Amino acid sequence: MTNEPEQNTGRAEGDGERTGGGTAVPAVRIQGLTKRFGTQVAVAGIDLTLPAGRFIGLVGPNGAGKTTTLSMVTGLLRPDSGQVEIGGHDVWQDPVAVKSRIGVLPEGLRLFERLSGRELLSYIGRLRGLPGDEVDKRAAQLLDVLDLSGSQNKLVVDYSTGMRKKIGLAAALLHNPEILFLDEPFEGVDPVSAQTIRGVLERYTASGATVIFSSHVMELVESLCDWVAVIAAGRIRAQGTLAEVRGDAPSLQEAFLELVGAGRRRAGQNLDWLGGGAR
Amino acid sequence: MSTESVAGGPALTPLFVRLKLSLLRNGLRQSPGRTVAYIASVVVGLLFAAGVVLGLIALRGTPHVGALAVLLTGILTLGWAVMPLFFPSGDETLDPTRLVMLPLRPRPLVVSLLTASLVGIGPFVTLALATGSAVAVADGAAAAVVAVPAVVLVVLVCAALARAVATASVRLLTSRRGRDLAVLGGLFIAIGGQGVNIAAQKLGSPDGLSVLEPLGDVLRWVPPASAVSAIEDAGHGAYGRAAAGLALTVLALVLLLWWWQRTLTTLMTSPDSSTLQAVEKDSRRSSDGGVRGPARLLPDGRTGTVMLRTLRYAWRDPKSKMSWATSIGVGLLVPVVSSVQGNGSIYTAFSASALLGMQMYNQFGQDTSAFWMVASAISTPRDAYLELRARALALSLVAIPYVTLVVIGTSAFLGDWSSFLEIYGLSLALLGALVATGALASALFPYSIPSEGNKNVAPGQAAIAWISMFGGVAVGAVLSLPLLALTIWLHVSGRHDLLWILLPVGALYGVGVAQLGLRVAAPRVVRRLPEILAAVSKG
Repeated sequence: MTNEPEQNTGRAEGDGERTGGGTAVPAVRIQGLTKRFGTQVAVAGIDLTLPAGRFIGLVGPNGAGKTTTLSMVTGLLRPDSGQVEIGGHDVWQDPVAVKSRIGVLPEGLRLFERLSGRELLSYIGRLRGLPGDEVDKRAAQLLDVLDLSGSQNKLVVDYSTGMRKKIGLAAALLHNPEILFLDEPFEGVDPVSAQTIRGVLERYTASGATVIFSSHVMELVESLCDWVAVIAAGRIRAQGTLAEVRGDAPSLQEAFLELVGAGRRRAGQNLDWLGGGAR
Repeated sequence: MSTESVAGGPALTPLFVRLKLSLLRNGLRQSPGRTVAYIASVVVGLLFAAGVVLGLIALRGTPHVGALAVLLTGILTLGWAVMPLFFPSGDETLDPTRLVMLPLRPRPLVVSLLTASLVGIGPFVTLALATGSAVAVADGAAAAVVAVPAVVLVVLVCAALARAVATASVRLLTSRRGRDLAVLGGLFIAIGGQGVNIAAQKLGSPDGLSVLEPLGDVLRWVPPASAVSAIEDAGHGAYGRAAAGLALTVLALVLLLWWWQRTLTTLMTSPDSSTLQAVEKDSRRSSDGGVRGPARLLPDGRTGTVMLRTLRYAWRDPKSKMSWATSIGVGLLVPVVSSVQGNGSIYTAFSASALLGMQMYNQFGQDTSAFWMVASAISTPRDAYLELRARALALSLVAIPYVTLVVIGTSAFLGDWSSFLEIYGLSLALLGALVATGALASALFPYSIPSEGNKNVAPGQAAIAWISMFGGVAVGAVLSLPLLALTIWLHVSGRHDLLWILLPVGALYGVGVAQLGLRVAAPRVVRRLPEILAAVSKG
C-alpha cells in the first residue's frame, strides 16, 4: 500500500475547513449508533472513528450489521440513536455539506435500471448539479476505464452483476467525492471486473481520498486495506491498522475468526459418507 | 454418477403428478388472503364452466350450435396457447429449465409432463367445456361414439399446446423482455374483455348466432375444433368428413408432441438466457450518448434531467407504461362510452384530468428502491422542490395537451360548445389540485410498487395506498371548490356573459395551487428521505 495519511492534506487544502496541516479531521466519526428492526437489534451501539485518506475495510460475517451501519452513515437509513459526522459535518444536521462530499454504492438497492449505462451517468451527474459538458466528459472517461464503453447504450437492467457494480461505482465517483462508501463492491463480481474496480479504487485513494468498503472476503481486505474495523452482532470487535487488528495471528482470516468467536468449529464430522467414492 | 438410480428409480409420471398436486396444495397454504383468492377463482371458474355447459346443452339442436361449439373450442385453444405467455408463473412445472440438471430423457419427460398438466382446474374446466360442446352437437349413436375420442383429443391438444408454447418461448419468458410482457398481460386481458363484452352483446341479439357461420366454416377444419365438428358430421352420416376431422386433430397432437420434444431437447442442451444476454452486442440506442432529438428542448439542470428520466421511464418501465396507458385509456373511455350510450355529458371530460392527475401520486414509489439515487442528491427543500416540480412538469407535458384534446373532443362530439370554456378551465384547476395533493401524498404516504407481477401495491401497504389515493382525491376536490363556487355563482346570478373568465382563472388557479402543493411538499420530502426510501424499497 502506497498511500500515506499525509497525502490527504494536499486534497484538503481547497476545503478550507481543515485545521491547518496538523491532525486532520477524521473521515467518519460515529458515536453510540444504534438501530433495531422490531425486536431484532441490527446495530447495538457503535463507536468508530475512521481516519481520512485511508483504504478502510469494514469486515464482518453476514448479518453483522455492516449494511445497516453504512446505510445510517450515508444518510439512507435513520438511526434510532447516535451521531454520525463525516468530515466534521453531522450527517443529519448538515446534509448539504455531507452529500456533496460522499459517494455511495449501496447493496440491495436498485439503480435506475431502465436507463442505459450512459444515460444513468448523465442523469446522476446533472442531478448532482454538475455542468452538462463536464458530466459527459467524466462519464465517457469512467465508462472507458471501467471497461463499459462497449455496453454504454445497453439498459442497465440487462447488465450482469459485475457490470452493475461497475456502473454503480462510476455513478458514485462522478462528482469526485472525498469519501467513497462501498457496500460489498466485490460481491458476485468476476475476477476481471474485480481487478478493474480495484485499479480504479487504488488510483482514487492514491490521490488522498478515503474509501470505506464492507466485505466478508478477508484475503481481499488484507490485500487492499490499510485500516480495518471488525463488526459482529452489531458491535465493533476491533479497529485499527491492519497490523494492529491482525496482531499475532498469521492472517486476517485467523484473527477475524478468533474475534467473532468462530475459531475452532469443526465442520463435517457427520458427513463421513461424503467424498465422491463408490456411492 | 451411477445410472442405476435412473433405471431403477421411481416411475416418472406419478412423480410429476404428485409434484403438480403438491404445487396446487401449496398454492392454498400461503397467506389467508391468497387462499381465499385461490378458492374464489376456483369457484368462479367452476361456476363459469357449469354455466357454459348448461347453456350449450340448452342450445342443443338449435340451427347454429355447431358453429358456436367449434368457435368455443377455438377460443379455448387460443386461451391455452397464450396463457403461458402472460402467466408464466401460473404453473411452475411449465418451465422445463428447472429440470435441466436432472438425468432425464426427453421422451419419458414429455409423457410425464403432459400427464401432470392434465391435473388441475384448467384442464378440468376444459374437459367440462369440451364435453358440453360434444353434448350440444352430438346426434345419434355414431356421434356419441366419435364424441369420446374427440373430447379426449381436444383436452390433450390444449394441454400439449400450452406445454409446447411454454417450452418454445421459455427463452423469451425468462428474459427481461418476457417478464415485461407478462406485466402488460393484464392490459391485453382488459382489452380482450371489452372485445368479448361487445361480441356477447352482438350474439345476444335475435338470430345473432348466424354471425358465427362463416367463422365456423373455417374453424371446423382447424384442430382441435375439427374434432368437435367431426362429432356433428358423424351425427349427419358424413363419416368421411368425421374421420378427416378426427385425423386432423390426431395429426396436430402428434406434430405438437414432436415439436415440443425437439424444443425440449434443444433447450436442455444449450446455454440459457442469462448467458446469451451477457454476450449480446451493444446494439440498442444510437451511441452518441447524451441528450438527443426533442429532449434537447427540455430545460437545463435538474429540471430537464428529471423530466427526461420521468418521460423515459413512462415509456421503458413496464409498470409506468401500464399505469400511463391505463390513465390515458380510461380517461378517454369514460366520455366516449357515456356519449355512445346516449347519456353523455360534457362533465365526463373531467375524467381526463382526474386520471392524469392521479399519475402524480406515489411519485417516489414509481422509482422503486432506486429512489436512493434521488435521495442522495437532495439536501435542501430547494432540491426537493425542483425534483417534484420537474416531475409535475413532465406530467403536464402529457396531461395538458391530453386534457385539452379530451375537452375539445367531448364538446365537439356532444355539440355543446357553450360550456367548453368553463369545463376546460375547471379541468385545468382540477389537474393543478391533483398535482398539489399528489406531491404531498408522495411525501407523506409513499408505498412500493412491485416491479413484477400484476400487483401495484406491496403486501402490507394497501392501506397506505388507499389513504394516499382517496384522501388525496378528496382533498383535491376540496381544493377545486373555490373555482366550482365561482362557476355556480356565475350561473345562479345569471352572469353567463362572464363565464369565459373561468378558463383564465382556472388555468391560473391550477398553476397556483400546484405551486403551493409543491412548496408545501418539498420540505416534508427532505425531512422524510430515509422513511420514503424504506417505504418504497419493499417491492
